[in-house]
Amino acid sequence: MRKTNQICLLTILLCLAPLAAKAQNPKVQGGGSFLVQCPQYTPFHPAAAPSAYPTPTTQSQDNSQNYVGPVSVSETINGVPITYVSNGGAIKCQEISGGDGMMTEADGNQTFMFSFGPLSGLDNIKHGLPGTLLNSDFNGVYSDAAGTHNGYYNSPTLPSVCAAGAPSSCPTAGAAGIAGGAITDPTFDPSRPPNTNAAIADPATIMTVGVLNGSIPAPLMAFDEDDEFFLTLSNVGMIMRPDLFEQHTVHFHGYPNASSYYDGVPDASWAINIGGSATYYYMAPDAGTYFWHCHVTPPEHLQMGMVGQLYVRPRQNRVTLGNGLYQSLVGCLGSNGCIGAGASQAGQQSDLRTACNTSSRTNQDILCSTPVPQADSHFTQILDPFIGTDPRIPAGTRLKYAYNDGDGSTWYNVDVPLQIHGFDPNFHFVGMTFNPEGFADMKDKYFLLNGRSYPDTVGAQAIGTEDTDGRTRFSQPLPSLIALYQGERALLRLSDLDVTEYQTLASLGIPMQLVGYQAKLLRDQAGNNLPMTTNSVTLGGGESLDVILDSCLVRSTTVVAGSVPACTTPVPKGTYFLYTPNLDHLSNDAENFGGLMTEVVVQ
Amino acid sequence: MTYLKMKARKVELQLARIVVIVVSTLLLASTGKAATPGITAAAGGASRFNLTAAANYISQPDGMQIYSWGYGCAGAATYAPATFASVGFCPTMQIPGPTLIVTEGQTVTVTLTNNLPGRANASIVFPGFNVSATGGAAGLQTREALPGGSVTYTFQATTPGTRAYYSGTQPDFQIEMGLYGAVVVLPSSAPGTGTGQCASLGSDIAQVRLGAGNTGHDLRLASAAYDHPETCYDREYLFQFMELDPRIHRQAEEQALAMVTCPPGGTNTTTGDPCPMTLNVMTEPYRPVYYLINGRAMPDDMDADYAPNYTHQPYNGNPHMHPGDLVLVRIVGQGRWAHPFHEHGNHVRLLARDGNLILSQNVGTTGRADLAGRMEFTTDTYPGQAMDGIFYWSGKGLGWDIYGHTPAFAGANVPCNPNTSGPNAGFDTSSTAIANGNYFEWCADHHHPLEQNPLGQIASGGPVAQFDSTIATHGLWDAGTPYLGENATTRNKGATPLAPGKASQNPLQESGIAFMWHSHNEREITTNDIFPGGMLMMMLVDPPDFFIDETL
Repeated sequence: MRKTNQICLLTILLCLAPLAAKAQNPKVQGGGSFLVQCPQYTPFHPAAAPSAYPTPTTQSQDNSQNYVGPVSVSETINGVPITYVSNGGAIKCQEISGGDGMMTEADGNQTFMFSFGPLSGLDNIKHGLPGTLLNSDFNGVYSDAAGTHNGYYNSPTLPSVCAAGAPSSCPTAGAAGIAGGAITDPTFDPSRPPNTNAAIADPATIMTVGVLNGSIPAPLMAFDEDDEFFLTLSNVGMIMRPDLFEQHTVHFHGYPNASSYYDGVPDASWAINIGGSATYYYMAPDAGTYFWHCHVTPPEHLQMGMVGQLYVRPRQNRVTLGNGLYQSLVGCLGSNGCIGAGASQAGQQSDLRTACNTSSRTNQDILCSTPVPQADSHFTQILDPFIGTDPRIPAGTRLKYAYNDGDGSTWYNVDVPLQIHGFDPNFHFVGMTFNPEGFADMKDKYFLLNGRSYPDTVGAQAIGTEDTDGRTRFSQPLPSLIALYQGERALLRLSDLDVTEYQTLASLGIPMQLVGYQAKLLRDQAGNNLPMTTNSVTLGGGESLDVILDSCLVRSTTVVAGSVPACTTPVPKGTYFLYTPNLDHLSNDAENFGGLMTEVVVQ
Repeated sequence: MTYLKMKARKVELQLARIVVIVVSTLLLASTGKAATPGITAAAGGASRFNLTAAANYISQPDGMQIYSWGYGCAGAATYAPATFASVGFCPTMQIPGPTLIVTEGQTVTVTLTNNLPGRANASIVFPGFNVSATGGAAGLQTREALPGGSVTYTFQATTPGTRAYYSGTQPDFQIEMGLYGAVVVLPSSAPGTGTGQCASLGSDIAQVRLGAGNTGHDLRLASAAYDHPETCYDREYLFQFMELDPRIHRQAEEQALAMVTCPPGGTNTTTGDPCPMTLNVMTEPYRPVYYLINGRAMPDDMDADYAPNYTHQPYNGNPHMHPGDLVLVRIVGQGRWAHPFHEHGNHVRLLARDGNLILSQNVGTTGRADLAGRMEFTTDTYPGQAMDGIFYWSGKGLGWDIYGHTPAFAGANVPCNPNTSGPNAGFDTSSTAIANGNYFEWCADHHHPLEQNPLGQIASGGPVAQFDSTIATHGLWDAGTPYLGENATTRNKGATPLAPGKASQNPLQESGIAFMWHSHNEREITTNDIFPGGMLMMMLVDPPDFFIDETL
C-alpha cells in the first residue's frame, strides 16, 4: 500500500482544486470540506412528531418514550406526500476523527496507533460512556468554563465567532433538515446551549482537537432501535506519518442488510481523504452487539488500532411499565389479551420491518433476529430493581434487555462493552518509523481488553498518554473493571478485533450465560431459547457475542409478576476474574504477567 | 525459481508484485461468476470416480508457481452442472481436488491411483462416511495406494450436505501440499414445487431470480441443500480455505527432484552416502504466506471457473446474486488453521456442519422441526470441517429506497406493490416489478431516497446531504451511487456525483452493489506480504434485470 499511497498523492492534489471553488458556497460547505451533519428533523423524525412518539428530550429514551407499537405517519416533503410506519426513536449523531494517536501499554511502552478519536460526546467518552448524542445535544456549542476539557483545547474563538446573530457562514454542526416542508437554516442556531459534549464543527478546532486524539478502543457508539444514526468522520491526517496520505472509513461490522455505500469498504465504495468529512447514515439495525472499524488496508489499519465498539438497544427497553413483553411482540389485541395498564395495541409483529415471520413456516425470513418465544412467560416491564442500590442506575430507569426476547430472558442491569484486541509492538514501531510492515510475521505481544492489559484494565480513570507535542491526551478511556451488587446481572458485550488469532476469555467463579451470538438472540426458529452456560467463550477476529454474568448463583423459578426472578443464593462478595486461558496472552510483551485479564467485583 | 532466490530478491520484487496485483486487478474480467462445479457419475450409473494423486504447479497472483500435490481425474469426467461440460476440465492434478457430486443413498466408489513422486503413498479419508477400502496396502488411517498402485474406497452417501475429503497419509505434510477436496451429497427427496416447497425451477420467481428472460441457466445442483423446505436456495457457491507455506513445497520439490538422480537404494555419487528412501520434509516452524480460496488468492479467485490460465486451479470464488436470492454457501476449512470468514452485507444462517442439519427440538405444526443453526456475520471454518449456510440480501429496513426512486424524477417514479401476505410480504414480486427492474424491492422504503435534491439548493428532501465525491477516493467496484441499477447514477443527487461507469469491476451495464467477503484474521487477506490478496472476494448484488451468467 505504501506505493499506492504515493500514487494517490497526485490524485488528492487534483481533488483539492475543485474544493476551493466549492468552499465559496457557505450554506453547502460551512467548514470547507469538513462538513458535520446532524439534522434537526428528517422525514422519519419530523418536526411535527406523531403524538404517539414525541421527540425525546433526554439521551436515555427509557424515560421519555414508550414503545406503543407501529404507528402510521403521513407527511408532505417538498409537496410530495409520503407515508411510513413509525416505531419511535430519535435522531442520534456522533462525530469522530480519523488520524493517529499514542497509547500506553501496561508495561509503560508508549505505542503509536492509527486511530479514531472523539469529536463529539467528549465528556461522555471521558467517563466511559458512548459518545452518541441526541441531535439537540450534538448541535450545542462545545464549551466549558476552563477553555480546555479532557485535555483537549477548546477553540478560543468558537463561542465568539458563533455568537447570536452570527453570519450564516459561521461554521457549525447541522445540515439541511426538514421542518414542516421548509428548510431549516443549516448553519447556525443561536439558541443552542453550550455543553461539554457538543460536536466540534469548526474546521480549525476539528484539526486542533482531532490531531493525535485517537483512542483505543475508538469512541464507543450506542443507540436504540428505530433511531436514525448520523456518524460524521473527519479525516485529520496522521501528523506522525506525514509521508502517508491514508484515507479512512467506518465499517459497521455485522449490520444486517447493510448498504454497500455506507459499508466502509473502499473497494466497494469510497474512502474519505485527508481534510474531508463524510457522514454515514443508517437506520438503526436490529438490536445487538456489533462493532466498527476502518476498512482501509485492514491488516494494517486494524492492527494499528482503528477499532471500536457499537451496540444497539432493543425497543423492548421502551415497553410501557406494566405491559407484557410477549404482548409487545405479538400485540395485545383481542384474544392475545393485555397485561398491565397498557391499552390495546399492536406489537412488533404488526410491522413488517420489525416482525420476525416464522409463523408461516414456509420460506419464512430465515435471517430475522428474534422469533416469537414458544410461550408467554408473563414477564412485564418493570423499573430496574437496583434503583437506589446502584448509584449508576438513575431513578426511573427501566429494566434493560439484550434483545427483543419477548420473555425477559435477557434482562440485565449493567452494560459492559468489552473489546478484545492484540497489538504487535514490532508492527507498531515499524509503522511509526516510516518502514514498510510485513504481514506474515505479525505476532501480537500485547493482549488488550478495551485497549488496556492487566493491571491497567481495572483502573477506573481514563488513561492519558503524553504526545510528541508535550500535551497529554486521553488515549484509553474505557476501564473494564466490572462491579456488581449481589443479584445484579452484567451484559458483557464482547467483540474481538484481533487480526491474527482466536482468543478465549474465561470466567473464574461466576458462570457465563451466552445469550446472544453475533448480534442475534440465541433462539431457534421454533422459538426455543438456546442459551449456553459455560465458563469460557472463544472469538475469532470479527466476531461478537453477548454473555450475561449473573452475580446470583441460584434464582427462584417461581415467576412473580412485576419483578425479576428472586435471588436465593447470591455470588459471595469478593473479587473474581475474567482472563484468557490462552496462557501466552497473559503477558505484556516481556512481562510474563498481565495481558488479557480483568476483575469482577461483587459487593 | 527456488524460494531462496526468491527471498533474496524480495525487496526488488515488492514493487513488481504491487504492479502485478494492480494490473491484474484492473484487467480482471468482471464476468467471472461461479457456482458449485464438480464432477459426477455418468447419468444413471453408479457413483464411480477414478482419481489420481500427482504433482504439478499452481500459480499465485505474485507470479510464483508453487510446486504442489493434488488429486485429479484419471480419465474423462462428467461435469456438473451440465452447463460446464463445454468448458470443464479435470487434469490429473488440481487444487482443490475434484468436487465429487453424488446423491443421498448412492453407493460411492472412488478408485485412487498414486502418481505422487518421492515414493510417497497416497490415500483419501472421507470424514463423516463409513468407508470400506480395498486394494493397496494397509496404512495408519486407511488403506493406501503404493507408488504407481491404486486403492478403492466405497461408502454410502447416507445424508446430504457438504463434507471434506483429504489425505489420510502423513496429513500434516500431504494436505499442506494440496491433497484435499470436497464431497457434495444432494438430497434424494429435496422439496419439490408447491405450497411449502421450494420455488419451481420454471416458475417466474425462480427465473427472475436467476435472470429475467433467461431460461436454462439454473446452475443449482438441487433445489434444496437438504430434505427440508427451509433449505431451498437459488444459487450456490463452494469455498475451500487453505493456507500455504511455500518453504514446505520447496523442500518437497527439491527432495523429489533429488530422488530422480539419487534413487532410493542407490548411493550418492558425490558423498558416497545411501540415497534417501523417503522424503523428509520439515513442516515446522510453520509460516504460511499464501491464503487461498479454492486454491486461488485474490484477485485470481474472482476469475472464471475453469479459466484456461489456471490449468490446475479450476474453481473460483466470485459470488453474485439478485436482491432476495437465497444463496447457499458451502464452506470447507482444509488447512491447519481456523479462519473467521466475514460475509459483509448480512448474516448467514448456519444450516449444518459436516452434513448434519441443525434442527429445533420441537416438531412444529407442519410435522417437521424448524432450523436451529446460528446466524453469523462471521462464519468460522475449523480445520477439516465443512458447513452449509444460507445468505441473502434485500436492503430491507435501510430506511431509504435502494433504487433511489422518487416521484420528483422522471424515469425513477415506478410503483412498488408489496405482497400483503405470505413469505415475501412487504416485497414487490409482481410482474410489473420485473419489467421495472425493481423486483424484490422492500416497499416500505419506496420513494424515500437519501436525497431528492443536492444540498444547497432547496430542502434536500431526504435525511442526508451526500458528500462531494471529489473529496473521497473511489474503489474499483464503486458505481458512484448508493443506489442499485443501471441508471442509478443519475438518481444520485449528491454534490458532484461520480461520472457513470467509472467502476472497472462493476461496469455501467451491471451497476451492482458490492460486499467484501474475506477472512477477518486480516493478515490473511494478503499474498506473500502484499495487500490486497489472500482470502478475499467480492459478493455482487446485481440489479434484478441484470442477467448473471454463472458460466462466464
